[in-house]
Amino acid sequence: MRSRLGPILMLAAAAAPVAAQSSQFGVRGLGLPMRPLSVRSTGTGGAFGLFDSESPFNPASIGLVSFTRASFQSLQSWRRSVSPAGVATARDNRYPGIFVAGPVGGTPLAISLSSSGYTDRNFSIASRDTLILRGVPVETTDTLQSLGGVSDVRAGIAWRGSSNLQVGLGIHMLTGSNRISSTRRFSDTTYAGAAEQFTVSYLGMGVSAGVVARLGRAVTIAGLVRADDKLRVERDSLRVGTTKLPVTLAGGARVQFGDQLQVAGSATYRSWSSADEDIVSQGGIGSVSTTELSVGLEYLRDPRRPNNLPLRLGFYRARLPFPVIRGQDITETGISIGTSKRFVADRAGFDIALGQVWRNGGAGFSERATLLTVGISVRP
Amino acid sequence: MSRISLLAAIAIAGMLVACQEELTSPVDCPELCPGNSLIVRDTTIEAVFDRDSTFTGYLKATDIPALLVSNGLAAGDARTWATFPSRSDSVTVDGLAHALTLDSAAITFHVLALDKTVSGTQLVVHRIAPLLDTNTTFAEIDAQLTPESVIGSIAVADTGNARLVLSGDVLQKIAVTEADSFRLGIGLRVDAPSPTGIRLASLNFDSRPPTMTLYGRIVIADTAKQRQTLTAVADSANYVIEAPPPPGQEHLFLGGKRGSRAILRFAPPAALKDSAIILRATLELTPAGPLLGLTGDPAHLEVRGVLADVGAKSPYLTGVNASALLLADATAVQSVDIRAVVGTWFIADAPPSTLVIGINPEGGSLARPEFFSTRSPSGRPRIRITYALPSQPGHP
Repeated sequence: MRSRLGPILMLAAAAAPVAAQSSQFGVRGLGLPMRPLSVRSTGTGGAFGLFDSESPFNPASIGLVSFTRASFQSLQSWRRSVSPAGVATARDNRYPGIFVAGPVGGTPLAISLSSSGYTDRNFSIASRDTLILRGVPVETTDTLQSLGGVSDVRAGIAWRGSSNLQVGLGIHMLTGSNRISSTRRFSDTTYAGAAEQFTVSYLGMGVSAGVVARLGRAVTIAGLVRADDKLRVERDSLRVGTTKLPVTLAGGARVQFGDQLQVAGSATYRSWSSADEDIVSQGGIGSVSTTELSVGLEYLRDPRRPNNLPLRLGFYRARLPFPVIRGQDITETGISIGTSKRFVADRAGFDIALGQVWRNGGAGFSERATLLTVGISVRP
Repeated sequence: MSRISLLAAIAIAGMLVACQEELTSPVDCPELCPGNSLIVRDTTIEAVFDRDSTFTGYLKATDIPALLVSNGLAAGDARTWATFPSRSDSVTVDGLAHALTLDSAAITFHVLALDKTVSGTQLVVHRIAPLLDTNTTFAEIDAQLTPESVIGSIAVADTGNARLVLSGDVLQKIAVTEADSFRLGIGLRVDAPSPTGIRLASLNFDSRPPTMTLYGRIVIADTAKQRQTLTAVADSANYVIEAPPPPGQEHLFLGGKRGSRAILRFAPPAALKDSAIILRATLELTPAGPLLGLTGDPAHLEVRGVLADVGAKSPYLTGVNASALLLADATAVQSVDIRAVVGTWFIADAPPSTLVIGINPEGGSLARPEFFSTRSPSGRPRIRITYALPSQPGHP
């Protein structure tokens, strides 16, 4: 077990844990919150996340893992953002997650190591202004770019009490940085452009505990509680403050209809309002607690080969924690479709999910994004 | 299996092709502006009082890049002289010396600049004694530029070669004598209906110095070789100028035949040195009166930083300078963008915040600008600095 996991663990440690898609709603607060989901769960709108052994969400979900496997994701997004300043189309690519899990031989335990996005703060925004310099109006173009975000590195362990009950514990390290650069250019070229660059880095810890329980033949339920400590914020190694992170509560149910169809639903609450005071004190607008509801299904064409191009569908609706206008909620609604395929005796395969999300921040702020997520899984 | 592999390959290839970044979006501030952009400010710093000076003597008398002639200009009256070495009276053809019988001759000067708004400008060429050197005075030259010594005149309307062609009896006016060691001296002045001047190429200017060409015939059977020429380049040429006297301490003076430069010293505020990003820096010099010079022939005001401030002989920072045109008769404040120079004052191990100003062409221009110094009650030299301060945006 150890020798087989070794190279993969090294890969996980070396991979730069960066977050997922960018958004104009990721400019404020800590950025756009990420969903710690596998591609399979993404295809079901996140509804299967609490049950999915490849999602770094519920540490209990790895309890039934019977062999070591690793997965890697890549996400491409195309978005159209509307704000009172205008309309912009943008695209970006991220590598939002890497996940390794496997059983501990001879014990009812399984362990996992993962890196996934916690919040994403990749953005580049441009604005124009006119300054009066030496008595003459001079047009300026300002660009502010942020690259990075906060990543969630989790070490998880699950205990398989029986095939009907698994419990798990996760230790989380939240780490990452925003490399921020600000430039100002002048229409009058006798003025040189100016730029400043600095790095805001983050560090925090958290713990999560979860359970997956099967009730009868058809129904499985799962629950999660996660508590994160304060996030330490530094600018160029100078401490600028801390941000209290939320407690997460999640629960869901999965129902099996025959051999081919599973339907799941889940709800997740995060107490982001606890960060409001800290964010305001650091110059931000604030934060609000969020709830996410999701439903999804997975239809297996061949129950004996569940990864032979199943059909996954999902829907979710969530409130985002960092408003651009205080008191004005941002909502996110998404639909998704996905499938997967395994080959080489199930030793390798891929998952794919295509999603469409709509975000609405009120006051003229809205966004539409198409997200294509591809995951590659290997079983060493 | 092969279809699946193909599907996987297509999906992965699609991701790789799609792996593109284009993040920039317009924003509406303040909602989507996490903090201010760079803060832009403007300040003016005057040169340190009584630490500015004019120094003269940067050029040797023979280093002049141009010859000047003028009449009645406020910048000064100038006369040019040139001497030609003793010339041969024969040419060598097919290994044999043949006596040259002169038909005609031409004296050529190359005009670098003139005031084209003055019509009827003539360059008057005089025969003068060839015993001239850099100590020759304006009065000594001017005394020889009499009507009797006129060889001829050249109408000058544009830049380029100005050529005086002599033939017939006039050739006697350039005949050389043993008393003059067979050398020829030429004096030049300008004749025009209003004050003006001309700038001519000197011996130091490219390959167009004052030149004399003699055209003649030799006695030889081959008719194709009967016509011959002899060309002689002036072996010395210079100018003398009767310029206004140097100004007092309240003015800084640039230019002049020997090259005058001014040193200015500034003391930028420490706050700027700590964190400012220089966006624009403009040196502003206030003319003490209408700038003296020749209309249509502006000089360049040149500003340099120094590596070390040791006074008049301060070594310059290489590759760091700035320049601006100085138009004759201008009375407005003269501005030069010197961000490249000032920018060096705000780096680690910065050089002294000292400027040396001068004009180009130095020693070869009728421009003679004078600016108020720090000892003047008003119009002191100053630098206007527009700078940016970091604002550390990216608030949550």
